[in-house]
Amino acid sequence: MMICPNCGVEVEENSNFCSLCGEPILNRTAGNEVFIRSGKARRDERLLTDYQKLTGTQKRKIFWKISGLILISGIIISLLIDFIVNRAFTWSKYPATISLVLFIHFTLNVFLHKKFLLMLVLSFLSVAGLFVLFDRYGGRQTGWDLKLGIPVLIAAYLTILCLVFLVSKAKQKGLNIIAYSLIATGLLSVFTEGMLSIYNRGTIYLEWSLIVMVSVVFISMLLLYIHYRLKKATDLKRFFHI
Amino acid sequence: MIPDQGKFWFTLDNAAKIFPAIITKEVTSVFRLTAVLNQPVRIVPLQKAVLLAEKRFPYYQVRLREGFFWYYLEHFPQHFFIDPDDSVVCRKFSRDGLLIRFLVRDKHLSAEFSHILTDGAGALEFFKTVLIIYAGACGVEIPAKYQFSKSPDGISEEEYEDAYDRYFKAEIPPMVRRSRSYHLPFPLNSVPRYNRLNAILSMKQIKNIAQEKGVSITVYLVSIYFYILQDVSENVNGKVRLNRKKKLRVQVPVNLRNVFPSKTMRNFTLFVMPEIDLRLGHYTFDEILKSVYHQIKLEMDEKLIHKNIARNVGSEKKLYIRGIPLFLKSMILRVKYYSLGTSQYSGVLTNLGNINLPDGTDRLVDYFIMTPPPPNKMLKINCGVAGFGDNLVVSFGNITQRSDFEKKFLQFLSDMNIRIERETNN
Repeated sequence: MMICPNCGVEVEENSNFCSLCGEPILNRTAGNEVFIRSGKARRDERLLTDYQKLTGTQKRKIFWKISGLILISGIIISLLIDFIVNRAFTWSKYPATISLVLFIHFTLNVFLHKKFLLMLVLSFLSVAGLFVLFDRYGGRQTGWDLKLGIPVLIAAYLTILCLVFLVSKAKQKGLNIIAYSLIATGLLSVFTEGMLSIYNRGTIYLEWSLIVMVSVVFISMLLLYIHYRLKKATDLKRFFHI
Repeated sequence: MIPDQGKFWFTLDNAAKIFPAIITKEVTSVFRLTAVLNQPVRIVPLQKAVLLAEKRFPYYQVRLREGFFWYYLEHFPQHFFIDPDDSVVCRKFSRDGLLIRFLVRDKHLSAEFSHILTDGAGALEFFKTVLIIYAGACGVEIPAKYQFSKSPDGISEEEYEDAYDRYFKAEIPPMVRRSRSYHLPFPLNSVPRYNRLNAILSMKQIKNIAQEKGVSITVYLVSIYFYILQDVSENVNGKVRLNRKKKLRVQVPVNLRNVFPSKTMRNFTLFVMPEIDLRLGHYTFDEILKSVYHQIKLEMDEKLIHKNIARNVGSEKKLYIRGIPLFLKSMILRVKYYSLGTSQYSGVLTNLGNINLPDGTDRLVDYFIMTPPPPNKMLKINCGVAGFGDNLVVSFGNITQRSDFEKKFLQFLSDMNIRIERETNN
């Protein structure tokens, strides 16, 4: 009677490999104990493609390198074209800055994947810094960066922070996530319009954002009602699957 | 539509229709039958047995396909897989694959079935056939009655029909909606959630105790289920205490093949749902036992069963329901499943009954385990029971971090002086 050391079934006499798991039939000795026990891991490994074998960090780094190449070459090309045509940097500042912001964020996401708060703070600082630079060296110095850009930016980041906190605290994720996001959008638009009116007129005067806020609150209430009152353990993917 | 003519297909039976809509990576609707043998499984005879059994049950060689209005099962001429049993229990079947798999480890010979295909009783017939052929291939003498015949001519159409349809009577009484029932308050495990605990009891001892009370083993176990649910609900703290003012209900699947003379090998099950009202105060175990016994008796009335089949089948017969596109139907079914289904009962206890094997084959098997399909997030815990020889195996499926329920359940049994062996494996 021959027993496969890996899965424990009885195989035919004189077989070299187990016909169930495909592992070689060995007599258990002190030397091959580790090899036998790693049978499952080796079989699982064989089923994976090269890409699946990469860790999450490795996959993110590949994405970072590719996106970096594209963005940086994009920046250089647009600057060159602009300079050749106009003999100065004019329109190319905009795509170049946007690409730079994107690249900074991809970088942050790759290297600070686990440290969400630090990522958020650095992301805020980098965008705010670019705002300042843009205003100083963008040609017309209007001071909108400190008066308008950075306050709205702070509000946006705080909203995102609150939203992420709420989502991570939610026990059942479903329609309530949509409701929270809608309310966050509403609040952000109220704040944005408030800041815009202060910047333009010097007083707080709200128009469109109030309409946004009211409709968003109604829809969110409905969604929250459906979510908590009917309390289906529905996840969105399943609910909306076609 | 005839299985020996190559490519065939059939619609899902009435009970199976719900499952494609609710299956997720965790709620897989997959259950497992395990035969624990006396000797390590012999792999070559098993491979032969599975190959032969395929020929006898061509209607199980199917995969699930999406139509525009309904799902359907389509012939898929592939051999059943036999794999090492070293992964997650009752995991989901891949799309476009067969709905049965065999898993082997040491002395454990298991088969997993998607509930879309069949219920416990149908699966057991198939599994027993494999075991008998396996025993024959291992050199056991098989009685003539159980000899395997290779030709599929012996397959009657009744075996793969939707038996609900046959026993459906057109008059449909209105649907009675039950109130919400109590649900266990335990926090869920992280994914993959499913854990199970098997307890092997002495059949003789538990039979004696049940007989003393004049009830069947199922009624006795269901009563313990109620008693422990009551115990848990009385001992929870904080805001979940609000839940106390609710009813306890336990769903007990009934094999309709015992009620109607059907030979179907697909789903043919209904449920009885005894209940205990927590608002009426504390019940002693004997009170629960008496109440459950009578409630199950009452609900097993043939006319009532007809009514329930009519209720279930009737709605799928209506043209305006049949005409809804599948993706909408799945959404509706899913919502209905939780609001009319799971929310109405607190637990499930499914008893496969006493399993018989022919002489010779029975000497190979030590005991059977019936692993219930992973419970959903509302239900959290369920229970499968299978008896063989002097072993009754109670298998708890659990997706929570707590095992209080099982511990109390088994403590109750050992307080009754019943011998219990536990085994856990994931």
